[in-house]
Amino acid sequence: MPTLAEEHLDAAFAALADPTRRAIVGRLARGDATVSELAAPFAMSLPGISKHLKVLERSGLISRRRAAQFRPCHLEVDALDQTLDWITTHRRIWDERFDKLDAHLSAVQSGRRGGKDAAR
Amino acid sequence: MSAPGRELQFTRVFDAPRQLVFACMIDPDHLTHFWGPAGTSAPRQHITVDARPGGVFATVMVNDRDGSRYPTHAVYDEVRPPELLSWTESDSGMQVTTQFVALGPDRTEVRIHQRYVPEAFLTSEAQAGFLTSLDRLAAHLGRVEPRAVESEPDQPPSE
Repeated sequence: MPTLAEEHLDAAFAALADPTRRAIVGRLARGDATVSELAAPFAMSLPGISKHLKVLERSGLISRRRAAQFRPCHLEVDALDQTLDWITTHRRIWDERFDKLDAHLSAVQSGRRGGKDAAR
Repeated sequence: MSAPGRELQFTRVFDAPRQLVFACMIDPDHLTHFWGPAGTSAPRQHITVDARPGGVFATVMVNDRDGSRYPTHAVYDEVRPPELLSWTESDSGMQVTTQFVALGPDRTEVRIHQRYVPEAFLTSEAQAGFLTSLDRLAAHLGRVEPRAVESEPDQPPSE
């Protein structure tokens, strides 16, 4: 069974798969904004933007204050960080692994060139 | 696009022939030299490779500093030397597909596509079912004749 954290991660990745939602997240990284402020740069209706905001809200990446009149949207930086962490961690693992593979391939090949039995 | 999920693509070019790069990914004697990321090592005696569909790919990465061990266990989904390797990690449900593209006689591009396989495949039983179905599919495909390419009908006569 997926853990709660895993489910959040999936929801966050699904939410970020869309370019409009990534742009909204980018805008909110600069500060809280209302729905109409968020809609302004996009050729999109308020209901259209609201749909995207609901997806982001369900994923935990943004929150909206229930009480406030204009319900400004707020970026949940920790949730975004966790999502980005997953990417950077896995990228780093492959990067480091491949650095070593690169060195290993050089060693194996220079061994082969140096003497027939030297390889491995 | 498939169902959205955690995906990662990673590409690196190596100055080595494709056959050798592929061999490195399925030979424990090679893997032990590079499988552990920086600060870890992958001892040869803990690497298991049974490179065929349904076969096990298991490693233990050991932290060089404090000796912590990170065992991994995966099952191969597809093995197509020297061009493609695909396995699913048993615990996380992560599917890792590695493509080996020859850019020249001594130049190989390795493309990693890491994809999270959602809930259905997470339990080991479900995973066994998944693999069985893949085996069945493979057996089935072996029996099926390549389908004849349907020829395009000729231009309809203009009326």
